[in-house]
Parts: sequence; C-alpha cells; structure tokens
Amino acid sequence: MTVQQNVAQATPTINLPTINLQGNHACALGAVAAGCRFYAGYPITPSSEVAERLAKELPKVGGVFLQMEDEIASIAATLGASMGGVKAMTATSGPGFSLKQENLGYGMKAEIPCVVVNVMRGGPSTGMPTRPAQGDLMQARWGTHGDHPVVALTPGSVEEIYQQTARAFALSEKLRIPVIVLFDESLGHLEETITLPDVTEYENTIRKWATGKPEDYKPYKADADGVPPMARPGDGYRVHTTGLIVAEGGFPTQKADVVAPVMKRLLDKIEINNDLVESFEDIDCQDAEVVVVALGIVGRSAKKAVRELRQQGIKAGLFRPITLWPFPTKSFRALTKKAKYFVVAEMNAGQLILEIGAAKVDKQSVSGLNRYDGEPISPSLIKQAVKEVLGHE
Amino acid sequence: MTTSNKKNLEMRFSGAGGQGLQLCAKIFSKALIGEGYHVSMSQSYEPTSRGGLSRADIVASGDTPDYPLTTELDVLLILDQAAVNASEGIIRDDATVIIDPRRTKNPPQGNFKVIALPLSETAIKLGSERITNVVATGVIAALSHDIPLDIVEGALKSISPKKFLALNMDALHAGVELARGLKTA
Repeated sequence: MTVQQNVAQATPTINLPTINLQGNHACALGAVAAGCRFYAGYPITPSSEVAERLAKELPKVGGVFLQMEDEIASIAATLGASMGGVKAMTATSGPGFSLKQENLGYGMKAEIPCVVVNVMRGGPSTGMPTRPAQGDLMQARWGTHGDHPVVALTPGSVEEIYQQTARAFALSEKLRIPVIVLFDESLGHLEETITLPDVTEYENTIRKWATGKPEDYKPYKADADGVPPMARPGDGYRVHTTGLIVAEGGFPTQKADVVAPVMKRLLDKIEINNDLVESFEDIDCQDAEVVVVALGIVGRSAKKAVRELRQQGIKAGLFRPITLWPFPTKSFRALTKKAKYFVVAEMNAGQLILEIGAAKVDKQSVSGLNRYDGEPISPSLIKQAVKEVLGHE
Repeated sequence: MTTSNKKNLEMRFSGAGGQGLQLCAKIFSKALIGEGYHVSMSQSYEPTSRGGLSRADIVASGDTPDYPLTTELDVLLILDQAAVNASEGIIRDDATVIIDPRRTKNPPQGNFKVIALPLSETAIKLGSERITNVVATGVIAALSHDIPLDIVEGALKSISPKKFLALNMDALHAGVELARGLKTA
C-alpha cells in the first residue's frame, strides 16, 4: 500500500497531546495556533462553533473577537484587520458564503491576506442548515466575479481541519491572498480522537513587510515570487487600497498595456508558488485501474472503500485533493496514468467531476457518484460504483 | 489503519430532538476514551430546537478509523418513533437494539433482537421523563461487554450538573436493574 501525503507538514512530535475535539473547534484552535488574533463573524449553522470557540480563545491570547451585524460586514472587518497587520479570519456557511463573495474578490484583487472558512451545508439558498453537502466547491472557485486567483483547502478529518486551517494562514500571508477553507457539516460537527499537529512553522510564517525608503515604495511592485511586500501601517509607506485595477505604483488604471501584466502577475502568483500550495493524498493510485476522486468526508469514505476493494483483488486507488483550488492537475495526471476509469464521488450534483474531465489526459471514462439529499456517501456506495464501472455487478 | 487489538464498536442513540441523545453519546464517548479507544462522535439533528429526528453516533476503534461515521451498528437505542427509519439497513444481525415501546409503536424489523424496556416509564416514576436518556444509558452499560459500569458511572459523574447528579445516578442504576431483570428472566 502506498500512501503519499504531499502536504507541507511540520515535524510531528511525540509529546503532543491526544484529545477529543470537534471539527469546528479544531478549526478555531488551529487558527489561534497559527497566530490568528482577529475574528469577525455572524453565527450561522453549521459553522457557529468556530465563532463560539474563538470568542473564548481569542481574549486569552490578546486577540479580538467581533460579532458583526452580518456576513458582509464580517469579511469587511476581517480584511480591515488584516490591513492593520493582524492575522484575521471569518467563518460562515451556505448563504453567508454567498454574501461574502464580493468582498472576497476585493481581498483577492487588493491582495489582503485572511482566512475564510465555509462549513458547507445543504443548499441552494437556506437549504438544509443541519445537513452536510459539498455544493460550494465551484462557488469557492468562481463565486466572486471576474478572473481571480484562488486558494481553497479541503481538509478530510478533524486533525486535518486543525492543520489545514493553520496552513491556510501561512499560505495567505505568504501569497497575500484570502485563503478559503472548505469542509462540510459532518466534519464540522464530528468529534474525533486526535493528536494536535505541530503548526509552529505556519505560526512563524508572516507576510513580507515593505522595507527601504518610503519614497521609493511601489505598493504593487512584486518580487520574483509574484508577491508585493505590504505596507505596515505606521511604517511611513503610502498606499491606496482599492478594488480597482492599479499599476505598480498603486494608482488606478484601465490602460490595456498596463492592465495586462498587472492581471497576469495577479493570476500567475499562485502557479509560481505551486510547490507551496499543492497538497493531496494518494492511496495506491499508480497501479490503479479505477481511481476514486473524493474529498472531505467522502475522501474518508473512499479510503475505507479502496482498502476493502484492494483486499478483494480489485485495483482501486484514491486521489484526494487537500488543496482543491488550484486543482493539483499535474500531480493528478502523473499519478493516474494507468487508470482506465475515474469515479468522482461528491455530495453535490456534479462539480469536482468537471475538473476531473478537464484534468484527465487520456480517454478514460469518468463517472459521477452523487448525493445531494443531505446524507453522506457511504463506503459501500463507493465500492458498488467502482464494481459497476468495472462491469463486476 | 487499525493496529490495536480493540474491536470496532458502533453505537447509535436516536429519538426525537430534546431527548438528551447527545448526552448519551457524550457519556459513552468519555467512557470509551477512558478505556483507550479512539472515539469518533457524530450527530444529526433538525433545525428545530425540539422534535424531529435526532441521533448521536459513536464509532470506537483501536486507532483512527478510515471512515468515522457509522455503517454497521452494534448498539442502537430508539427512544421515539421518529428515529426508527433512520437506521434501516445499517443494523448488524447481532446488534443490541433497545427501544422504549411507549414512544416506539412500530419497532424496526430485521434479524436482530429488539429489546423493549419501559425506559420512559421508569424515568417518570423516578420523577422526570427527561432522564429517560440516563435510564437507557444504564441499560446499555449493563448489557455491554466492552465498557465497565464503573467507567460509565465516572463519565456520568463528570458530565452531570451537580444538582442533578443524585437523580442521574438513580436513573443510571434503575437502567442497570432493568437490564439485569432481562438477564435473569
């Protein structure tokens, strides 16, 4: 069995505590461990426990917890706090994530680091508040208007929620971008016995601050990594933050020859840093005839299914994106060269399957296993789907 | 991957919202953690604060399970008719299924054995229907081979508010007596 976890992992320490923790609480604690000191939010099921826990934890470490009047104000306050120099986060679900889309795009354009958590519930609209779903995968990619860079992480366990929330802060700081953390209700409310991973590396990652003479500072002039150093308030650098497209100097422009390189740099900065961003789990993909693609709680289900199928002599594998956006296309292609079939299991009517259709190199068949009735996809359903594509049943 | 010799145990506490099913799961979760298990606890409930299907599940295993949600129940508690259909197809043939017949008129059908006990009646006699969940906890603890009773008592003590501790302990022991009555019957 080959299990490859291509995640930038901090070194595990033996003495770390083993505890029972709920997914939403793990999200809150992972944030604090990564250095988050500001949270603004508006409670909404099934993400409310993230806010509840942070309301308790942030004051203990000198942080600020704000309950705002709504979700739009919450992300606005989060972006504002980050511009003030603090690692900041907001969390929401379903309709709240829709409300945040405009300011999410503002953060991507103005290059403001922050973390936006979406605990997915059944939709559309208010949908099913207490039921799990994975219906916001494409919204996380394309929810805000215009071409934009995006980083979205999809942890698959309580331990990974802790770790990936912490990692989201590091990525957002490093790349100056709002990073989205997506997991569903069943993981948010799941309590598991876990060992808290060491996230010191993520805690120590902070954005590049502007240095040098203030009169020479160009707020959107990027370094080789595609990321411009940020002006820290009080350091004397002049900066104008806006949603408009700006030239390196920070002034708005609509001149095509100026806009083109500005937009290219904005869109390319994630790709330039792909080694840092990409993460996935691969179980037995290399020699698999059928590769199941699944994430979050369905990834757990698929893990059990794939192990049991292997015991029955069926060459099944699992590709589980941890970084959903940008999708780890190159690694996926390299690992699934021998696959003849893909089964994409997801708790929606078919979103991840669109990406697999685009990512596959060959003429492999791609089948969807979809559920959008508020119930998770069980391992037996996945086993059945794999056997069906192989013509075993 | 399971490396420990502890066998997997899947438990479900189900009924209507407000019957204290989460508390049942919390007590057993705490007890099983004390016994060295890895415990995954999940839940499902309706947006309403009372009524509708409510369930709390436990998957206990020697190590982190691949899949943390229930697929084959070893223990199932049903305190209300609203919860009967929710477990269809995932009850093992050798499962222990406990129902409260007062509120579960049509119990689940299958190869498993269904044990009907006057859980809510016992609770009412003790002073409050609200402690039906703790009576049921006592029944399950007494019938279980995996969880020593004193560990369950300890878990209940640590979770119970002080002013309800005596009542809760009475309810737990009344449940144990109900189960013992079964064994000798």
